[in-house]
Amino acid sequence: MDLNRRDLLRLLGVAGLGAAGGGILSGCSTATAVAPVRSGAASLGLWTHDPGYASYFTQAATDAAVVGGSAWTFGVDVTSVAPADIVSRLVTQAVAQRPLPDLAGLVIDQFPRVMRAGIAENLFVDLTALTAPLGDRLLKTQPYTVDGKVYALESDNSISVMFYRADLFDELGIPADVGTWEELLEIGAEVAADTGQAIGMVANGDNGSIVNGFTQLLLQRGGNLYDAEGNLAVLSDEAVEVLELMAEGVRTGAFVALADPYGGAAAAALKGSRLVATVMPNWYEVYGLQANAPDQEGLWRARTIPRFAGGGHVASTMGGTAFAVLKDQPLTDAATDFLHRSYLTEEGQLARYFAGAYMPTLVDLYDAPEFQEITDPYLGGQRVFEVFSAAAADMPLFYQSAGASVLRDSLGGPVLRAITGQVGAEEALRAGVRTYERQVQP
Amino acid sequence: MTKPSPTTDALRTPGIPRRRDQRQWAPYLFISPFFLLFTVFMVVPVGAGIYLSLTDWAGLGSPEYVGLANYSRLLRDASFGAALANTAFYTVFAMVVVLPLALLIALALDAKGLRLRDFFRLTYFMPVVLSPIVIALIFGLVFDGEYGLLNATLEALFGVGGVSWLTDPWWARVVVVVLVLWRWTGYLTIFFLAGLQNIPRELHEAAELDGAGVVRRFFAVTVPQLKPVTAFIAVTMLVNTAQIFEEPFLLTQGGPGEATLSVSMFVYRAGFQRQELGYAAAAGVVMFVIVFVLGRLGTRAFGVGRNR
Repeated sequence: MDLNRRDLLRLLGVAGLGAAGGGILSGCSTATAVAPVRSGAASLGLWTHDPGYASYFTQAATDAAVVGGSAWTFGVDVTSVAPADIVSRLVTQAVAQRPLPDLAGLVIDQFPRVMRAGIAENLFVDLTALTAPLGDRLLKTQPYTVDGKVYALESDNSISVMFYRADLFDELGIPADVGTWEELLEIGAEVAADTGQAIGMVANGDNGSIVNGFTQLLLQRGGNLYDAEGNLAVLSDEAVEVLELMAEGVRTGAFVALADPYGGAAAAALKGSRLVATVMPNWYEVYGLQANAPDQEGLWRARTIPRFAGGGHVASTMGGTAFAVLKDQPLTDAATDFLHRSYLTEEGQLARYFAGAYMPTLVDLYDAPEFQEITDPYLGGQRVFEVFSAAAADMPLFYQSAGASVLRDSLGGPVLRAITGQVGAEEALRAGVRTYERQVQP
Repeated sequence: MTKPSPTTDALRTPGIPRRRDQRQWAPYLFISPFFLLFTVFMVVPVGAGIYLSLTDWAGLGSPEYVGLANYSRLLRDASFGAALANTAFYTVFAMVVVLPLALLIALALDAKGLRLRDFFRLTYFMPVVLSPIVIALIFGLVFDGEYGLLNATLEALFGVGGVSWLTDPWWARVVVVVLVLWRWTGYLTIFFLAGLQNIPRELHEAAELDGAGVVRRFFAVTVPQLKPVTAFIAVTMLVNTAQIFEEPFLLTQGGPGEATLSVSMFVYRAGFQRQELGYAAAAGVVMFVIVFVLGRLGTRAFGVGRNR
């Protein structure tokens, strides 16, 4: 056979395209069914970004109080994966029909990625049968719901409250029980004018931080980014009011604008006692306050957030990580049972709090004696669940949609311009919505 | 006339074609590893990417063929326009500022009698080997609007400060290009320095004897002699900057808003934050075409690969 260079290249090109086509076609094929393991040893593959969850699940797997009576003997095989990579790798592994974990931790802002094109439905077990019997007792299922089905269970209720420096509030004459944001902002403006200290912070760094900070207050005010059906709901009176409040706070100095609420600037603001209060979720006490200002142990306290005069809640929420069970794996049933026991039972939630201070998602547990008796040394020995109980009872609902990351990028710039007073609140929101609607078809 | 010996024919006839076949196949066999790898890792991904760009695909299930809809959407997408404009800004800056500056530093390092030459080389090269994450953290601390070192210094020295380096759209772009400048100038300097050290001293001496001053010698001797190196650096820098990702991603994540978003970040965002793989592929194809055209133009302009 005669073969010249041109023929060889042609042959290789055709072979390559054939290989690509074959790969794509094989990606579309269905996986071979595997026999489920009904009992016995179950070493569950777990992908998570947070060593805290790895540690909790590893402990829980052998904790008789959590897994006692199960048909399986659990073990956990942890793989540490960055938050964004978890979804990417789940999808690519599924397409390539490569091994998947049994449990995967999905950070809340990554979940919208699986809300598109039936990804959640194809990858994850529908957990609605586990959550439905709990009804309103179970908090924070909405962000992980697609077409009415719950695909992941929240690990930490992420309740936003107001942390404040009790010593500085006394010194500056700020009442710890101010009723509304409007009153507090007025006092904050005076404090800022007198001492340069701030009673809150707003993020002005990346789009994620900016929009998260705005959303936290928006939820508290009773607004939302999306409604329960996933329709855009950000253009509202509540949103305008919140944005105006943030802009006013920055203008008067009551709020300090920081690029990163967890980074160097926040550490400096905390250490220098410039920031005397902040509204953040429960986990900020560990990752923000204790991490940046360990020397201020005993000086901080927590309280519910002052209401807006126009209404809303005394609490909010920001962040979170939920765990999903992968479908059609040999250990899918075992993983579902394990997640149910460790996340939806009182024993599991108690163990979770003591393992990593993860707030219960069962609302009535906040009043249980085991929680009510907990005191927090960093918060001056305060019985924190007195605060969190009131907050949990008034938690706003938070809805997501597949276009949430587009919304974050669309709103980031306009919200920042509104906060810094370059444009009005309503104008900024309209600009953000216009950008969003150009990219996301209704 | 003697009849040819059948024994001789029997020995020759089957053997000659076999050797000819072997000779014909051997070169292809030797060069095939390259073409095989090239096909698998270049032709197939590019082909798959082009095909994907004509589909709507979130990653699971079958890609739905949508024709040129993704390209049409790109044309109307203000974010993509912003990413293109930002990338053009970075690229122009790199070509107009970074490249000449690297040459100037290389000239300074090549000066006769320079002390601590190796120390300077090391210093200028250091940013290249530092982790981009560390660099972004340090730049974040330096350029922070409230507590940054730069604002504090400006305040202390000149009584002015409070510049929103990372949160003002214009200044954020400036900080990104400062990072590009800081990170890549030293690296390019090394190439220029190597080129300068290869210029025969005799050429400078001859020009000096002819009465050429420093500036004249630079343009008449150094620049022409450096042309191959300059061409390589320019084309490499052009292509790399057109695909800039790390600097804006780590420093500002494309913000504030989309003020520092680059085309590579746009592709990443569409693919890995929004699960719009077909759309990301379309943006990738457009970026590929732009980079390819720029690369070809650069190659042609600088005469890379042209026979002398």
